[in-house]
Amino acid sequence: MRACVVLLIAFLLSACAGAPAAPAIRLSQLEPLLTQSARVIPLRVAVAAVISPRGTVESYRPLLDYLSRRLSRPVELVQRRTYAEVNDLLERGEVDVAFVCTSAYVAGHDQFGMELLAAPQVNGAAVYHSVLIVPAGSAARSMADLRDKVFAFTDPMSTSGRMYPTWLVQQLGATPDTFFARTFFTYSHDDAIRAVAEGLADGAAVDSLVYDFAIRRDPALRDKTRVIHQSPPFGIPPVVVRPDARPQLKAELQQALLDLSDDPHGAGKAALQAIGVERFILIEDSAYDSVRDMLNRAGAPAP
Amino acid sequence: MTVGWLRPWLDRLWMLAGAVSIRTKILGIVLALVLLLGLGVTLQVRQTVVRTMEAQLQEQSISVARDLAARATDLLLINDLYSLHQLLQATLNNNASVRYAFVIDPQGRVLVHTFGNGFPIGLLDANQAGPDEHHRTRLVNTDEGPIWDTAVPIFEGRAGTARVGLSEVMVNRAVESVTGQLLLTTVVVSLIGITAAAFLTWLLTRPILNLVQAAKAVGRGDFTQQVHRWADDEIGELSVAFNEMVVALRRAGEERAEREQLRAHYVKAVITAQEDERKRIARELHDSASQSLTSLLVGLRTMSGLCNQPEVRDHAEALRAIAAHTLDEVHTLALQLRPSVLDDLGLQAAIERYVADFGARYPIHVDLALRGLSEGRLPSEVETALYRIVQESLTNVARHSGARAASVMIERQNGQARAVIEDDGHGFDPALAGVADQRLGLYGMRERAELLGGKLTIESAPGQGASVFVEIPCA
Repeated sequence: MRACVVLLIAFLLSACAGAPAAPAIRLSQLEPLLTQSARVIPLRVAVAAVISPRGTVESYRPLLDYLSRRLSRPVELVQRRTYAEVNDLLERGEVDVAFVCTSAYVAGHDQFGMELLAAPQVNGAAVYHSVLIVPAGSAARSMADLRDKVFAFTDPMSTSGRMYPTWLVQQLGATPDTFFARTFFTYSHDDAIRAVAEGLADGAAVDSLVYDFAIRRDPALRDKTRVIHQSPPFGIPPVVVRPDARPQLKAELQQALLDLSDDPHGAGKAALQAIGVERFILIEDSAYDSVRDMLNRAGAPAP
Repeated sequence: MTVGWLRPWLDRLWMLAGAVSIRTKILGIVLALVLLLGLGVTLQVRQTVVRTMEAQLQEQSISVARDLAARATDLLLINDLYSLHQLLQATLNNNASVRYAFVIDPQGRVLVHTFGNGFPIGLLDANQAGPDEHHRTRLVNTDEGPIWDTAVPIFEGRAGTARVGLSEVMVNRAVESVTGQLLLTTVVVSLIGITAAAFLTWLLTRPILNLVQAAKAVGRGDFTQQVHRWADDEIGELSVAFNEMVVALRRAGEERAEREQLRAHYVKAVITAQEDERKRIARELHDSASQSLTSLLVGLRTMSGLCNQPEVRDHAEALRAIAAHTLDEVHTLALQLRPSVLDDLGLQAAIERYVADFGARYPIHVDLALRGLSEGRLPSEVETALYRIVQESLTNVARHSGARAASVMIERQNGQARAVIEDDGHGFDPALAGVADQRLGLYGMRERAELLGGKLTIESAPGQGASVFVEIPCA
């Protein structure tokens, strides 16, 4: 009987002491973190934040995987909040290849010799438009109707998202600061579309390719937004390399992009489809002269 | 089943419980109940609170980590480590339970953390979440206590993993607070309980103490006691029963006293009648039988003087001797029945005469000491009683004790007549005094003394001789 009681007490005590069996970690005892550099230098590809960072990862992953296989080296995706930061990375040589916006290319080419590699072709042409969108319930029919409203810009350097609407406002004899009640930057086109769809902004100008792609992927956006204006065609946002890229790398990359549509495994097609592009084609700098012209007339964008 | 080793403990407990007053028992019961209840509830609540709050902490750990992962995604993808650092700091500062937060990249390297300079050894490997997992929470054992560590993959693990650790310090603080409050409540309730129990005990014990006092008074013979009926409960019934018992006792006492009085009166009458009868017989023997025998003796002597025939003279002499012997016996009988000397000369002379006579008849030496009897006669019933007690005692000595010597002491002092009769015989146990007539004799002696308001004590033990003490007031 006594033994039973002792056993019972021992059991209860052991049950109470049933703490996690993991070893104790001392939170106050700190060690410096190891910093190791990668042994293989990856190909660093920057993608300007035309769409949100997460959307970028999802869209560009097949293309980057294709490039990695084609070049037999790891590919690292680099993203930054603004176009200007991507231009800086290219100028400093911290990325090798970049998918940049049209006006970012124009600025980069003119300032530090950013080089064209290829351009995507969509709907049979290497052009895109800036589309002015408003919430579906809005009464606005043109930019003039957006006076004293809230307007969402995408990126300070974006042709379709900043330069063109600024130019439109200037045509009305005003500046964005005085014309709109308030403006803000979303830093990506899909966030600008969402800002309009959710009523956060009364209007926004976005890349027509991104808009088409977005409403295809999320039909709800089509019902919540309405296009009230479309710009003349602009040269499509190109793929560029840093100015001091080795010619061989440049040639390999160019060939890889051009070969995407002919890839027998279908992986290239899938990659193209993921970013909403038919194929990559070669393009001349002159394709961007119209944008260059508008930029010159609209004045240098404030970054 | 009787547990052997438990019995001593039970006995000890019973001894303790039995030794204390009802007040202490009730207080003990109340206190034990309140404390048991209080401690039980405290333990139960404490456990429930701990369980609930731990579950909540676990939930909170998951939600904080999920929130952190959601907000960190874009910052990670655009490599905005400073904003990420601020996000971690905000997470740490805005949640009191969060002990640490850090983000690791897809390669498993710590990108940003809240530890300052350096990172705890082993913490990185303490928890891991696969890319397709919603979250994984583990209880990590640290030097600061258990910590709920939740790992949440960021952007399906492509951007890394967010890790958040929530310590149980706040939970423990809350639990300690609850426990403290409950214990305080228990103490307060205990105090209230003690007060209430003290009042209750006073209510309960007041009538019992009254009963005890009354019972003691009744024990002393005070039958006027009546206790107050305080309440209509069992003790109230006891009070009523007690009062009825006191009344019945008083009545019984009165009846007994009446009977006693009657009996004493009767005994006195019997004794007086006996004494009178003896006196009459003694006088009759003395006056009539003695005179006749004396005349017979004188006649026989005359007859033997007148007759010359030797045969007749011898016969006459023989008859004279018989007559003389008979006269002696008649004298002795009369003396034993009622010595006239007691009536005529008093106790001192009567005792002296009796002792001398006793000494002549039995081979027992008797010392006689008489003090204060010459200052005048004692009341005649006292004299008779003392005489009869001495007579009975010495008769017993002669018949039963086998004594060789005895002593009789009688004194008169301070309005009390005292007598002590002692012998050196083989003694007896007064409680089991031998034969019936001896017991009757002892009873008669005591009766005589008590009828006169006196007291008679017999002290004896086998082999120790015997003493009879008697004391009778004679003021």
